[in-house]
Amino acid sequence: MAVDSAPTDDDTPVDGDASGGLDEVEARVGARYTLKQVRQDTTARIGAYIVGLMTFVAVFAAVDYYLLDYAVAEAILYNPETDPETVRRLLPPVGMENQFGQGVIDHPLGTDHRGRDLLARTVYGTRIAMTVGFLATAIGLGGGTVIGAVSGYYGGWVDDVLQRVTETIYAIPFLVLVIAFMTAFGRDLTFAMVGVGITAIPVFNRLIRSRVVSIREEDYVEAARAAGVRDRNIIRRHVIPNSFAPVLVQATLQVGVSILIVAGLSFLGFGAQPPTPSWGQMLSASRGYMLPAPTFSIFPGIAILITVIGFNILGDGLQDALDPRINN
Amino acid sequence: MGLLRYTLWRLVQAIPVLLGIVTITFVLANQIPGDPVEIMLGPTPAQEQVEAIRARYGLDRPIHERYLTYLAGVVTGDLGQSIYYDRPVLEMILLRLPVTLLLMLSAFAFAIVTAIPLGVLSAKRRNEPADHVSRVVSLIGVSTPSFWIGLVLIIVFAFYLGWFPARGLVLPWADPADVRGAATRLGVLRQAVHHLVLPMVALGTLQMAQITRIERSSMVDSLQGEYVTLARAYGVPESTIVRKHAFQVAQLPVITIIGLGLSTALGGAVLTETVFEIQGMGRLIITAINNQDYELIMGTTLVFGFVYVVGVIVTDVAYSYLDPRVTYGGD
Repeated sequence: MAVDSAPTDDDTPVDGDASGGLDEVEARVGARYTLKQVRQDTTARIGAYIVGLMTFVAVFAAVDYYLLDYAVAEAILYNPETDPETVRRLLPPVGMENQFGQGVIDHPLGTDHRGRDLLARTVYGTRIAMTVGFLATAIGLGGGTVIGAVSGYYGGWVDDVLQRVTETIYAIPFLVLVIAFMTAFGRDLTFAMVGVGITAIPVFNRLIRSRVVSIREEDYVEAARAAGVRDRNIIRRHVIPNSFAPVLVQATLQVGVSILIVAGLSFLGFGAQPPTPSWGQMLSASRGYMLPAPTFSIFPGIAILITVIGFNILGDGLQDALDPRINN
Repeated sequence: MGLLRYTLWRLVQAIPVLLGIVTITFVLANQIPGDPVEIMLGPTPAQEQVEAIRARYGLDRPIHERYLTYLAGVVTGDLGQSIYYDRPVLEMILLRLPVTLLLMLSAFAFAIVTAIPLGVLSAKRRNEPADHVSRVVSLIGVSTPSFWIGLVLIIVFAFYLGWFPARGLVLPWADPADVRGAATRLGVLRQAVHHLVLPMVALGTLQMAQITRIERSSMVDSLQGEYVTLARAYGVPESTIVRKHAFQVAQLPVITIIGLGLSTALGGAVLTETVFEIQGMGRLIITAINNQDYELIMGTTLVFGFVYVVGVIVTDVAYSYLDPRVTYGGD
């Protein structure tokens, strides 16, 4: 769904084109084709820039945390100033004023309820959000691919059992499921990530399974099977590459969804625990100060919004780029 | 098969899923570390007290026996006893469920009422400014956490403008004597609407955005359909085409997305109830977890699953009712 949405009919190969139609159909699969399409699609490019920027910030924050400046890291996690007289709590952003004082340039976005710098904490929150988003998606993608591929390829009772189980998992509203899961196993960020990953399994399972079922019937797969190629190799060489485009789109969107869910979990007290500067946890802490220091509640939310928008735009752009039929 | 038989058949199909939900919840709840009895009696209770409590709640029996007992209870409508509230779980749920259902239904109503005109307008004015605005709004809607929308709404509309209350919910059928600032039935209704607006918008925005996106793309497809071209060729006015020919067909994917959105909305209800301090199912499950109240955890999770399954069946039935091609499954 490109915003500029110039008709791209000219670029898309027409099926059944006598001159080299087959080559073009083949070229539509795979990573190089994807990259080329994304570069041509403005929306996808904007999404890619945002995601790239956020990844950069996340990596940079990680490097900083582990290698560069221990004092800065300490200040982000705990309050550097132990003297209650000098702690500047709940300051507004620079240029604004509230009952706790005037915004200062040292803390461009102001400070939180313990006098910690909001900009630094928001930036460090990127690291947590991106890590959690990517890893949770990886868990869902991995689990869903295995279950979906096996289920779709073998069919029969294997399919029935696997599908009934994932359906049941899907039938519990996922936030409730993750909360129940975390109550049973642990309340920290790792379990939030695993839990969200598990709830994403049915999504990828359904996607992969439907692709596999349709590809299984293709002539070239029959031919490969007749030629004695082993099932495992058929799945690896034919089925998975052919599912690349829709899975990539879904995975991109899923990173954004995972970031949203984990932020929600942290907000409820499941997930990142204080003093970890996660966005959800910061928003949870800000609830007590919404009246005197509303800006405390604003910035972590904006950070979530920008990051998730990035993944959504990229996902939409990929969808447009990879599916020539959709041309809205 | 007729519509009624199809509905019954879908209900029968839901039984294994419900059984699965009971099993998953039971297994998870029994994995919970820590002892509810300890929470109840403090860290150093007398031994006989502990045993008495364990026997009373059946915690002294082996796990498979407890599972079967629980299952039998669920079938007969007995979800056990809440240790924390010292009341039957079902009673607590029946007290809280209407609150959550009211919140959910109004959120979906808000979403549908705003999204459908927005999506249709977007499709009709494709690539014009109205379309761009509607698409940006829905993009922001799907990318914003509902609880943050709640916080922002509270800051702006409750604290600064003072238009709506920041917390709580009033049930429209509540007794006027129990509602502060309401002397009559009409006053209760006014209070109910007043309290409902902000949480409804907070919870409904994501659904609104998703429905707008689907409505738009579905209408775009529909407007390109051959029957629309034919209608245009016959000289049917464009407004009639949009309203009658294109619109009806375009609603099927919308119903599907509403069904899928139920799961997100039920999770969102937990968050919205937390932000607005509403005593519904969401707060109940969090309280249950924080107090390791096994049976209440199982009961609330089960009811969340149950509401979702019923919601999906309702959307399925609505879909088959509206789609003339569906022949009610059957085998």
